[in-house]
Amino acid sequence: MKILVCIKQGAADGEISRFDEFALEEALVLKDRFQARVDVITAGPDSAVAVIRRAFGMGADQGIHIVTRDSGFVPAFVTASYLAAWAEKGSYDLIFTGIMSQDMMQGQTGPMLAELLGLPCATGVVKNHLTPALGLVPIEREMENGCRDCLGIRLPAVLTIQAGSRLPRYPSLSNMLAAGKKGITTLDQGDLYPVPVKPKEVLITIECPEKTREGRRLEGTLLDQARQLKAFLQEKDLA
Amino acid sequence: MKPILIVAEVMDGCIRPVTWELVAAAGVIRDLIQTDGAGGKRKAAQIAVIVPAQDPVALAREISSHAKVDVMALRVPSLAAYTSEAYKMCLVPLIQELSPSHILVAHTSQGRDFAPGLAVRLNAASISGVNQIRSDGGGLLYSRPGMNNTRNMLLRPESGFPLVLTLVPGIFSARPCQVEDSGTIIIKEFLSGANQPVRMVHQKLARRENDHQALKQAQTIVAAGRGIGERSNLEAVARFARYFSASAVGASRSLVDMGWIGYDHQVGITGASVAPRLYIACGISGSSQHLAGMKGSDWVVSINKNSQAPICSHADVCIVADVVEFIRVFLEQEDVLQGKI
Repeated sequence: MKILVCIKQGAADGEISRFDEFALEEALVLKDRFQARVDVITAGPDSAVAVIRRAFGMGADQGIHIVTRDSGFVPAFVTASYLAAWAEKGSYDLIFTGIMSQDMMQGQTGPMLAELLGLPCATGVVKNHLTPALGLVPIEREMENGCRDCLGIRLPAVLTIQAGSRLPRYPSLSNMLAAGKKGITTLDQGDLYPVPVKPKEVLITIECPEKTREGRRLEGTLLDQARQLKAFLQEKDLA
Repeated sequence: MKPILIVAEVMDGCIRPVTWELVAAAGVIRDLIQTDGAGGKRKAAQIAVIVPAQDPVALAREISSHAKVDVMALRVPSLAAYTSEAYKMCLVPLIQELSPSHILVAHTSQGRDFAPGLAVRLNAASISGVNQIRSDGGGLLYSRPGMNNTRNMLLRPESGFPLVLTLVPGIFSARPCQVEDSGTIIIKEFLSGANQPVRMVHQKLARRENDHQALKQAQTIVAAGRGIGERSNLEAVARFARYFSASAVGASRSLVDMGWIGYDHQVGITGASVAPRLYIACGISGSSQHLAGMKGSDWVVSINKNSQAPICSHADVCIVADVVEFIRVFLEQEDVLQGKI
């Protein structure tokens, strides 16, 4: 079994975006159980290579870095096109992404990648009963209000992984030491797409969200603030 | 004018109410297109709802009588229940035939599942999680959250592409539905596809046993998020909750994911939607998923070290402080007042 996990840089340097970390953990569990091979791929600037090293520390086998020079808003379709250029050659049984990125929360890259590859896709996967067997693999997608959509999906497939009860493991020292010897395949966006992928959406401006409530800031020492809160609660008859 | 299409949300054989919000949003888009830019008032675009199902006629009647819009009842004999594969397969030919300017989909676990792939197959622009639509005179702008929920990003599709939008539930519901078109029902048949290899099969919709009764009955919810720092600090949050009568402890999704507290405490889109008299958010940054589950609260208090947390825009009172320290001082003050110390 060969798995590709798509990861993105998180809030801090070298940190993997939270949901992608859960996706990587899901893949590493399959590695532990079925000796699956786990590759990780990221599309980003030179500095993004740090997330591949972190993934090596967690136990990933190989890393692919697509070096991009896009700045500002990068539409999910553009990222999905970069990932697809590698994934279509890799004969992967499974491709995992996080359900969404931590910063942009679009949740589009996974399902767009699936469409570009012509693969079936399920999003928000919280449980899988994956085995190397062929046929329809049972998985569960998280819905609203505690419901789950139980379905069967045929591999190869793209699954976007919802954060779940299985906590991502920490990088281990032995993996970190071995990571230095692992090679990273580096590709340039220009090699993959000599004619750049054309964005279909453009960012016009960024603004602060409208306040939905007053947001009165309490001032002073902790005790002052505690007294003001108490007064507020009494005034509104809340305590 | 190209039509504005809506994909109705059907689950368990029923129209989901978010469909009415999509119709309201389509009305907003139609009106903005009509008045946008120079050249005077344009002709109004047609609005139509597509409802795909094995037997869509009853569903189509419900939509047409409720929203008074044209409905495309898309009969798909092989469509027993929703899968992204089945939806994309049956929707694409009809959408291509109608050549719309917009395709509106709910930003729900179902809509988010098929909309991005649908956009790729249609060679359309795609914007997810839209929370506001407006015009700047040069065309329509679509706002969606970004940068860890601290900002809204205003996007515009490149001209010439149709646009697939997923709209966040709960934004357009408050507006009265002013779409009053003819309400014609057109039946469309989707017959091919029977010979396609089946790559995805819906099996069942499972429900968790937990119905979050404790949270839903509470008058005060004191909820904890990652900002409390350590698991042991949940004790302080629980102590704070006990100060209030008829109270319950809530939690953000990440605490539940980390195994710090059970799912029966989770507030948000994937947990409980609550509307207590008082909601105290302790160390909760305020993701849109969490806000959607508690925005109906009468009063919201936030306690957070980070003064820039998005929750500050959605709370009545903001306390910028360490959660545990603040709770300690607050409860000590109470003890003093009651003569216990």
